[in-house]
Amino acid sequence: MTARLRRYTPFATSGLQSLLQYRSMFAMTAMTAAAGAAVTVFLWRAVYEGTPGRGPGGFTVSDITTYLLVAQILQVLHTNRVDDEVAAEVYRGDVAVMLVRPVSYPVMRFFACLPVVGANAVLVGLPVLGLFALLVPLSVPRPADVLLFAVSTALSVLLAFCVNLLTGMTGFLTTNTWGVRMVKQSVVAFFAGQLVPIALMPGPLAAVAKALPFRGMVDGPLTLLLGRYDGWTDAAGLLAQQVGWAAALSLLCAVLWRAAMGRLEVLGG
Amino acid sequence: MTRTVTRYLGLAWFLGGVGLHRLAAYRTDFVLGAGAFLVRVGIQTAVVGLVFRQVPAVGGWSYHEVLFLLGFSLLPRGLDHLFTDQLWELGRKLVQRGEFYRYLVRPVDPLFSLLSERFFHPDGLGELVVGAALVGYAGSELGLTLSPVQWALAPLLVLCGALLHTSVKLLFASLSFWTVTSMPAMYAANQVSEFSAYPLDIYHPSLKALLTWVLPFAFTAYVPCSYLLTGTTGLLGWLPVVTAGALALALSVWRRGVNRYEMTGS
Repeated sequence: MTARLRRYTPFATSGLQSLLQYRSMFAMTAMTAAAGAAVTVFLWRAVYEGTPGRGPGGFTVSDITTYLLVAQILQVLHTNRVDDEVAAEVYRGDVAVMLVRPVSYPVMRFFACLPVVGANAVLVGLPVLGLFALLVPLSVPRPADVLLFAVSTALSVLLAFCVNLLTGMTGFLTTNTWGVRMVKQSVVAFFAGQLVPIALMPGPLAAVAKALPFRGMVDGPLTLLLGRYDGWTDAAGLLAQQVGWAAALSLLCAVLWRAAMGRLEVLGG
Repeated sequence: MTRTVTRYLGLAWFLGGVGLHRLAAYRTDFVLGAGAFLVRVGIQTAVVGLVFRQVPAVGGWSYHEVLFLLGFSLLPRGLDHLFTDQLWELGRKLVQRGEFYRYLVRPVDPLFSLLSERFFHPDGLGELVVGAALVGYAGSELGLTLSPVQWALAPLLVLCGALLHTSVKLLFASLSFWTVTSMPAMYAANQVSEFSAYPLDIYHPSLKALLTWVLPFAFTAYVPCSYLLTGTTGLLGWLPVVTAGALALALSVWRRGVNRYEMTGS
């Protein structure tokens, strides 16, 4: 097992090297993320303005600020470029080269995206968090909740990888993956609770959002971070739901990838 | 002079037609692109709706006023989108892959030559239609009646807003002449333009200053809407000045970039 996994480490390290070639990219990603966070943060702060204590959904002003800010940072961690790179490789036919290598393409992609996630966390997530901490008051979570959040975030990264891989694989069906990616981005952002916390959605909509896998990408980790759960069983239930979806989506990726390889045609040249 | 203008208009018309033919060839792509756009606006509207489930007013703006602003912000954006989306290609790869030279060897202005490769971008049409529908709906819910002066100014406000969007896009795309690719910078600027869909009053003072005087997206929707909804002129007088300034700056950066462009070898 370890020997098989070791085969993938070069993909992770080479990914990191090519990433560090474009350092200015991180500054731009940070600016984009800060701008994105500011839109939702200030919109919802205007709602909670003038409500002392707990407002709608049981959030305080600093709770909702923390929620929306960390939600945006999670979104940056989830932007692992797997969707556009897979789509581009399928489109150009480069994916054929991968087939002759003695590695699994989806697993290789997963390892290649890990350094992107790590670098984004350190070089984008932390500075954006620091910037907002200077501007607006944030909630300080309990240490146990931070631990739960860390586990949940790791699972959310796996979920995001699967969602992005599936999105990239639509390149087998259409050339306009730009449109597909935009739909994915909007739908995921909404149902993950990145723009509106699920606790603030009306009943039926919240039920749909809770049933979908995207919840585990933003609302799940943040529910744990802000301690908005009833005891350990509730917290464990949230994590279990994430694990379940991660397993189901990984399986789906594997099955669909195999099916796609069965009917892949690439033009020679 | 008149001959040049007629020639450019004729060319624009012809090339726009070519662009529409391309749509017919890639029909699914068109449907996907337009559908993607509808989903995006739909979700934006849903977020506004969910916000106003909690409170009757945000930053002094009512639900229908915010919808009006959201819809209006799509009009200049759509108009800009319709004509200048090829600039994304410049920022993304034209300099990087050494493909930019082809715009310099044609007997028309390089900027026109670049933009005309993708006139009548269909997503822009979608934005204009949805924006107009939202503005119409919110306006009638508000019982809004515009004075003749406001009616006369409204198209100009949209045009100025579109020119502002174009200026920012052109400026950041032109940076690629120095940095080879400026896609991330363009993307960041585009993300900042999203602020224009909500009332400026809700933002932190530093952000307000940024949106008014640095990346002046406040003038694309907030300033015109304040005027159309309440009649207060406020910053409206600055609108032509800011538009002209932004356009002049962007064009001068573009011209410098074109002049220093050197093709990659091979």
